Amino acid sequence: MKFWEIFRFEFGYQVRRPWIWLIVAVLIVLDFLMTRDGSVSEVLYSEFYLNSPFGVAKTTVFGSLVWLVTAAAVAGDAAARDVATGLYPLLYTAPIRKRDYLGGRFVAAFVLNALLLLAVQAGILLGVYLPGVDPELIGPFRPAAFLGAYAIISLPNAFTGTAVQFWLASRSGRPMAAYFGSFLLVFMGFFVASFVLFRRGLGTLLDPIGIRFVVEDMAHLWTPIEKNRRVMQLEGILLTNRVLWLGIALVVVGLTYLSFRFAHRTGGSWWSRFRVRSQKASSPIPPAGSGATAPPALSARPVSRASGFSLHARQTLAIARKSFRAIATSWAGLAMLALIPLLTVVMILDQTESNGVPLVPTTARVVALLTGSMADEQSRWVVIPFLLVFFAGELVWRERDAGLGEITDAMPGTEWPPFLGKLAGLGLVLALFLALQAISGMMAQTIRGYHDYEIGLYLKTLFGLQFTDFFLFGVLGLAVHVIVDHKYLGHLVAVLAFVFIALASLFGVEHNLLIYGAGPGWSYTEIRGFGSSIEPWLWFRLYWAAWAVLLAVGAVLFRTRGPEKNPGLRLRIARRRLTGPTLRTAGVAVTLILALGGFIFYNTNLLNEYLTPADLKERAAGYERRYGRYADQPQPALTAARLNIEIYPERQAVIIRGSYRLVNRSRTAIDSIHLTTAPGVETGTLQFDRAATCVLADEKLHHRIYALRNPLRPGDSLRLGFRVHAGPHGFRENGADGPVQANGTNFTNALLPGIGYESSRELLTPADRRTYELTSRPLIASLYDLEARKRRGEGTTLEVVIGTEKDQVAVAPGALRRTWRQASAGSGERRHFHYATHHPIGGVWEFFSAGYAVHDMVWTPATRADSATTGAGQKRVAIRIFHHPKHTAHLERMARSIRACFDYYSREFGPYGYNFLSVVERPGNGTGMHAEAGMITHGEGFTAWNPEQGPGSHDHPFAIVAHEMGHQWPVPAATVEGAPVMSESLAWYLGMKLVEYAKGPDALRLLRDYLRQPYPYPAIRRGEPLLRALDPYLSYRRGPFALYALSQYIGDERVNRALRQLREKHQPKNAPLATTLDLYAELKTETPDSLRYLLHDWFETNTFWELETAGAGARQTPAGTWEVTLEVQARKMEYDSAGVETTVPMNEWVEVGVFADGKTGDPAGPLYLRKHRIRSGRQTIRVKVPRRPDQAGIDPHHLLIDLKPDNNRKALIIRP
Amino acid sequence: MTLEISGLSKTYSNGVQALKNVTLSIPGGMYGLLGPNGAGKSTLMRILATLQEPDEGRIQLGEIDVLHQKDKVRETLGYLPQEFGVYPKARAGELLDHFAVLKGITTRSARKTVVETLLRQTNLWDVRRQKLGGFSGGMKQRFGVAVALLGNPKLMIVDEPTAGLDPAERVRFLNLLSELGEQSVVILSTHIVADVSELCTRMAIIHQGRILQEAEPLKAVEALRGRIWRRVVEKSALAGLERDHSIISTKLLGGRTVVHVYSEDAPAGFEPVPPDLEDVYFSAMAGHLPPKTGGPEKEARL
Repeated sequence: MKFWEIFRFEFGYQVRRPWIWLIVAVLIVLDFLMTRDGSVSEVLYSEFYLNSPFGVAKTTVFGSLVWLVTAAAVAGDAAARDVATGLYPLLYTAPIRKRDYLGGRFVAAFVLNALLLLAVQAGILLGVYLPGVDPELIGPFRPAAFLGAYAIISLPNAFTGTAVQFWLASRSGRPMAAYFGSFLLVFMGFFVASFVLFRRGLGTLLDPIGIRFVVEDMAHLWTPIEKNRRVMQLEGILLTNRVLWLGIALVVVGLTYLSFRFAHRTGGSWWSRFRVRSQKASSPIPPAGSGATAPPALSARPVSRASGFSLHARQTLAIARKSFRAIATSWAGLAMLALIPLLTVVMILDQTESNGVPLVPTTARVVALLTGSMADEQSRWVVIPFLLVFFAGELVWRERDAGLGEITDAMPGTEWPPFLGKLAGLGLVLALFLALQAISGMMAQTIRGYHDYEIGLYLKTLFGLQFTDFFLFGVLGLAVHVIVDHKYLGHLVAVLAFVFIALASLFGVEHNLLIYGAGPGWSYTEIRGFGSSIEPWLWFRLYWAAWAVLLAVGAVLFRTRGPEKNPGLRLRIARRRLTGPTLRTAGVAVTLILALGGFIFYNTNLLNEYLTPADLKERAAGYERRYGRYADQPQPALTAARLNIEIYPERQAVIIRGSYRLVNRSRTAIDSIHLTTAPGVETGTLQFDRAATCVLADEKLHHRIYALRNPLRPGDSLRLGFRVHAGPHGFRENGADGPVQANGTNFTNALLPGIGYESSRELLTPADRRTYELTSRPLIASLYDLEARKRRGEGTTLEVVIGTEKDQVAVAPGALRRTWRQASAGSGERRHFHYATHHPIGGVWEFFSAGYAVHDMVWTPATRADSATTGAGQKRVAIRIFHHPKHTAHLERMARSIRACFDYYSREFGPYGYNFLSVVERPGNGTGMHAEAGMITHGEGFTAWNPEQGPGSHDHPFAIVAHEMGHQWPVPAATVEGAPVMSESLAWYLGMKLVEYAKGPDALRLLRDYLRQPYPYPAIRRGEPLLRALDPYLSYRRGPFALYALSQYIGDERVNRALRQLREKHQPKNAPLATTLDLYAELKTETPDSLRYLLHDWFETNTFWELETAGAGARQTPAGTWEVTLEVQARKMEYDSAGVETTVPMNEWVEVGVFADGKTGDPAGPLYLRKHRIRSGRQTIRVKVPRRPDQAGIDPHHLLIDLKPDNNRKALIIRP
Repeated sequence: MTLEISGLSKTYSNGVQALKNVTLSIPGGMYGLLGPNGAGKSTLMRILATLQEPDEGRIQLGEIDVLHQKDKVRETLGYLPQEFGVYPKARAGELLDHFAVLKGITTRSARKTVVETLLRQTNLWDVRRQKLGGFSGGMKQRFGVAVALLGNPKLMIVDEPTAGLDPAERVRFLNLLSELGEQSVVILSTHIVADVSELCTRMAIIHQGRILQEAEPLKAVEALRGRIWRRVVEKSALAGLERDHSIISTKLLGGRTVVHVYSEDAPAGFEPVPPDLEDVYFSAMAGHLPPKTGGPEKEARL
């Protein structure tokens, strides 16, 4: 009865508060927008219905997150209102039991929260079914999708959230402590669970909100069909996660119950009590005087008192000091100033390693980990703005919470010192936090044995850049709390402000001038430094700083002094306060906002063209609508290009003069030439070497048409000359780097005119195409599309003279013919390089200029008999490695890998196509590599790979180079389904073979172990088979594994021969382009009939195996040999395109191995390794080995794809 | 029913010793606990109201062991703390009704009667639909009284109740209390001597955690007769007087200072004055305890 009454009263009390309905409104509106918003679905790269189970789940998770950070007051109020209002002495002395009291309050909070979360589902339903949605986007209504998401995501979140919030609030007696509970949960989900250390599974498990499961596991592992059809079930890792967090929540509830007492609140934590005691212990308490003694008379003399500026300055300082101390000694402060920096060390150690291979923790890399944009809602640093909002609220309400409000409000001085003092206190906390973060970074570097700390860079990035962003937000948080003047509402508004900043596009706001604190980001790399990113960054931040001043003025004007809350009165008071310095400050701020905003607008929208994502899509659609009709019109092929490139790093400008040789390879005469020009550069008049008139020059959609007076007959050629100029005009809205930088210029031929209609400019995703009313097009041509296998163009020979300033080296595709320096008028001495390709190269040409050091080497074909036969026509190759002068650690390893590749690949797969190879380091912290014809490029991060030396450690950079070099022996492949297999799978197969060739089988085993790890490509059971694969897991993992397994079944000579023949068949100029079907056919001819089923399982279907050694024993025979008995379990299954599993019968050859030393591997090879016929189900295998065995198992080298590889091998039980 | 307190001590974690071996026997009726600020009154009251734990001592209310049977005590307890708040957005009637349920008045009709009676008694009936956030100090205090009176408590703890009340409110409140004192133990802690003298049949004076004197007010006043002397002086003369006499209190009257001293004999320049309870209080504070038959200190020594 009393339980019911407490529940009823609490529920009734809260449900009548207006702010709870505001939260309902916020949840409905945000989830409505989220449902309608397409950007998230694009991020997650798959199409799904708005009301598909996945769509509902994703928005539900988002809604849970919004609920968590806005609605903590529900549990907080239920738990702590009695203490906060002071009613508790009346209540605690009533004859109620603890479990009725706490239970009633907790259940009321939980029910309220559970009901609040229904608003999320309401928002989704409205988003789907209110008018304005393309009916095609709406699938069948499935109540299970909504109910499932609510029951599996929302309800457990409500329980866990309520439990944690309730606990903290009841413990501290302060409702706002509940927000700290929310922070802890968000921190778990965004910070802790994001460690790679925990891999996917553990991260998913540790995330209390479910965001990892939906955004990572579901988004990446579910097939599109699954996303639309499969209803989330409480199973697997999700079940474990929910059970785990419900368990934690129950423990927290229990803790709340046990630690609660109906007792007088003495105030203060154990910590503050401890401090008080240690202070007072030394000074005895003075005896209270009896009422009779006369007190010393008040002095009538005036004490000198400060006033005016000096008073304000001192007040500000005093308040700043107090505010800083208040935050720094609170639990939340402790979390920010101790917990986060400590975990940051772990985070950096975790992030400077990839699957066990360490990266050099350069300061550039570490500061990139320590900083994050406010606009990145998935960044781990979103926890900081939440803390700032929380702290701002604590500071604004500090005096009033302590009951001192009216006293401090009556103090002399204006409203400025309290605001500025609290702001300064907040700033001090931030500064201390960032200082500790820098120390954490340096600690992590030290732990990794790296000592080049670059403190200057830490200071610049953390204190100059990151501090500014956080601090600007801090001003907003503080001003919002002051102006709203309601604790919970202030919090709600401030959090919404953050949601708006982070997800502005959700609200249809794109321009950085309209998003508080926003602006272009900055970048730092060792080659570029900050490049040109600081200047636009700074202009925008100055502009926002002016706004921040205006916000401060607003806060000062509207700050309530005393209990008066009437809005009209506050407005009148504000008008009265707007005088003197405050008025002048406001004036200056407004002037600055107008001036800076105008200047920025002039740069972003007038000097440069400002295009929203929607504008860009509109243009792409317009381009297709107007010029798509020319897609099939024959156009001449670009067979040769001569370019004269002048790079001016100082001015960040480049001038390119060039000429194309265009040949009509079609069977009809060509009467008009279509050209696409590049956006963002100036393309001058085009000159033809024959009479031509420009009939259309569309400078908006970047398309030009020239009519030839005399059509170009088949086989004829013409010459086209052009001039392109690119350079900065002020800065752009997104601050995007121009192609040319002071150091570290990198651009491609995308700046140059292209021939013909470019279908790559078309909109791709079905959603976009529907929006702009374009007919749907497949992402890529079908595997069986014969048209797509026809060759377009035959490659281009390229001759480039490229000039740059005297201290830099410029790079273009081709062999370096010569280089010279010359003084030119106006720009001092310049350096020129002449590159040329003998053989045609592909369609992408990259150009570079930077202060490179060059590592030159030459590979000469071996004169051994075997290579003399296979390497016929192979010439010596000039290899040039262009690198940042400071980055040298990788050179030797890279050179070794490259040499080995030339040796092995040219022997096995035919000659290398060119007489040059350029390896170029480009600016950027990425660790990957990229290959184009005759050129390999890599980010600066690649040079940071720091594999451990010695056996047992995987030399990853060596393997990556081998993979990229594999791309230099390409099979000309058609752009159809399965194309990634033709490039990436083959390159990794080559890479594996190269590692085995150069470093032996152990190194290969380590590489395969690395590739089998679930990061970055977790195994998926996606629908399409390898033959039509597009997914990175299939092309980077399953494909090479398939080829490798085949090489173990039929021998590498046969697989290599198949690849070699494939290359030879498709390399000639007139040969059709290859597809996976051709690869499949070549492999088939090399595979004996008895093993063809393997090809089918690997390529035609999505087959997985489940192989397990259930029991393994060994006994010594009287003859002294050993008999090994294995109990093995085998199963094989196929997955169809919807992810549906079918078990298929198995009766095939699988390796069985016995090993003498299972841990270190056998230097002498396994005791036994042979293929056995294995059928589905359980079976016993007996083999004899000569020596005492240690381990045995089925498919011990993991040739077949088994998602649980760990149970293949087992230690043997030795029986007497 | 009597409340027996014996050997109660309490020291706070910051070192303040709030109660030192307090022993009291409190019969039914109004009992005043008089003491200056910081004497330990509120601590004692909170311990009696089951909100705090003493370090040592026992408390017995009739058959109930107050320290160990808190649930039992709460069933029959009315507590009006020195300071308390209310839910600003709740209505008076609604919150009182809530408390009525919590106090165990579960039948709807009974509750309705009780709530209405109390609201009328505390003169809050007309504002029962108003939000408590808008209540004045006195209204809030009366609301607290209403809560405390719910369910006819056998033990009523009232901590400094009249501090914030205007004279009219105070009279109304004291009347309410005295009605209750007819059937229960009512302990009223205060530093206002008049409260005690007007209401209480018994009283104790507490100072620095000790009970200085336990007495019936009238008898205590009687015991002081002939020992309190009065003189009106200028403020500047006060220091001189303090050297030679045992001043128990000073008071301003029309700009001059009225000095009361305690003396067995007539001091020069002073006139005799009939003692009142205030003189009892200040004499006790100044250490002039009348000869007693059995003070708490003695009991403790036994």
